Amino acid sequence: MKIFRHLTTTLVTYGAIVAACVFLMNLAVAFVISTFAEVSFSGWMLVTVQIARWFVLWVGVYTIHNVLPIAVAHGRTRREFLVAATGFTAVFALAMTLLTWLGFLVEGAVYALMDWKSTPHGSPLAYFLMFLVWCAVGMFVTAAFDRWGYGGVLTLPVGLALVLVPGITMPGTGDMPFVRDLPLALGDGWHVVSVFAWVAAVGVTWAIGRAMPVRAKAV
Amino acid sequence: MRVDVRGLSVRYGSVVAVDDMSFSLSGNKIYGLLGRNGSGKTSLMSALAGYRKPLGAVTLDGAPVFENADAMRQVCLVRHTADAADKGDKVSYVLEYGAAWRETWDNSYALSLIDLFRIPLKSKVSALSLGQRSALGVVIGLASRSPLTMLDESHLGMDTPTRYAFYDTLLNDFMAHPRTIIISTHLIEELSSLLEEVVIIDSGRLVLQEEADVLRSRGTEVTGNAGDVDEFTAGLTVLSEKSLGRTKAAMVYGALDDSRLIRARQLGLELGPIALQDLFVHLTEPVGGKL
Repeated sequence: MKIFRHLTTTLVTYGAIVAACVFLMNLAVAFVISTFAEVSFSGWMLVTVQIARWFVLWVGVYTIHNVLPIAVAHGRTRREFLVAATGFTAVFALAMTLLTWLGFLVEGAVYALMDWKSTPHGSPLAYFLMFLVWCAVGMFVTAAFDRWGYGGVLTLPVGLALVLVPGITMPGTGDMPFVRDLPLALGDGWHVVSVFAWVAAVGVTWAIGRAMPVRAKAV
Repeated sequence: MRVDVRGLSVRYGSVVAVDDMSFSLSGNKIYGLLGRNGSGKTSLMSALAGYRKPLGAVTLDGAPVFENADAMRQVCLVRHTADAADKGDKVSYVLEYGAAWRETWDNSYALSLIDLFRIPLKSKVSALSLGQRSALGVVIGLASRSPLTMLDESHLGMDTPTRYAFYDTLLNDFMAHPRTIIISTHLIEELSSLLEEVVIIDSGRLVLQEEADVLRSRGTEVTGNAGDVDEFTAGLTVLSEKSLGRTKAAMVYGALDDSRLIRARQLGLELGPIALQDLFVHLTEPVGGKL
């Protein structure tokens, strides 16, 4: 519980600070654009689907690469840490979803006030699942690299496949190649596939991380 | 805390860092783990601390350590790379990790050590000098108050006055809170007065494990006329010899019986102790030493 509390308080706070800064920058850019062109899209939508998911992935990387060794160095087991980290992915994804939604509310109000045009964005559930899977995949791939060194590169295709899943029906992320109609045919059922992607990412992280060595860092 | 190692091996690909090693430490002493560069000290300590999965058995008070929460709580290993600290974190934050995650952590003691070693609390770990980073590692190790505390060359970056302060602090803390402390170091002579027992490893194998005083008594420097020294040392294990004109000094390993001592007096030879560091050097000479 101590690990979970620590991860949640520090990284959610950090995520909120980063999100607030990026949101203000995003609004500033919109105002700059409005001086010479018509604003016709949601900058926050682009930020949340293109930049935010990479930030969330990085948080997953940081959790395993930086925090897990510290936990072991302070006498905690990998099992304890991975249980806490799994719960953390859900809380962090939820927090990022709330921040995303809060951003859309504020941006919507500003756009309405300025009479700017916006673009559609994904549902809160779609955002939550996207953040959930990207955070877990960041943990999974990092665990593989930290355990096997360059051999971890073999897990990249798997990680890539997993992170593609929740973004398929999300506006602004691009479509799935070759089978464009499948997600549409599945409708909201596609979200179940995203949940499976998260379960798979967490499962392999667990399998790899339980025997991960704590390597000496470069001084 | 008792430490038992049975058939332990640590491999990195084709490199064998620890090779089928077995030994036991009865506990509540300051142990010196001595070995040359690449002898397997860090790998051995990493296995003892559960930093890596052992091939073989590593138990603390009879319980396996790897991924055993009860056993892991009892261990603290500080390598010279400061595993318990992230480079981007402030020193104060590093202490918060210890206070939050370790039940045995003594935060007031940690703060007093921070003050003693003059480590700026608000600086980031990456901004600290090598000596300050070493001192921070020592703070983490000592303030953890872990029943098994291991310091892996963690004081090597310190300057001489700071090292002396560390030795005093270590001894005082050990007297106040007896526990099993394992220190690996290359500064053997500086630390030798603190060591109660010595474990010497070389090429991943155990060379010897001995009480420090017993080990010192096993080595003797014999000085005198070259011919007399040669006669006296015949049949003994001679670690090294030095000659200057007709005078010769030889280091011999092994206890000298009464007849030898009488013979030395008859020949007018001087017998003196050997520094632990010199014994170590000769015991770990290439190709497994001279024993």
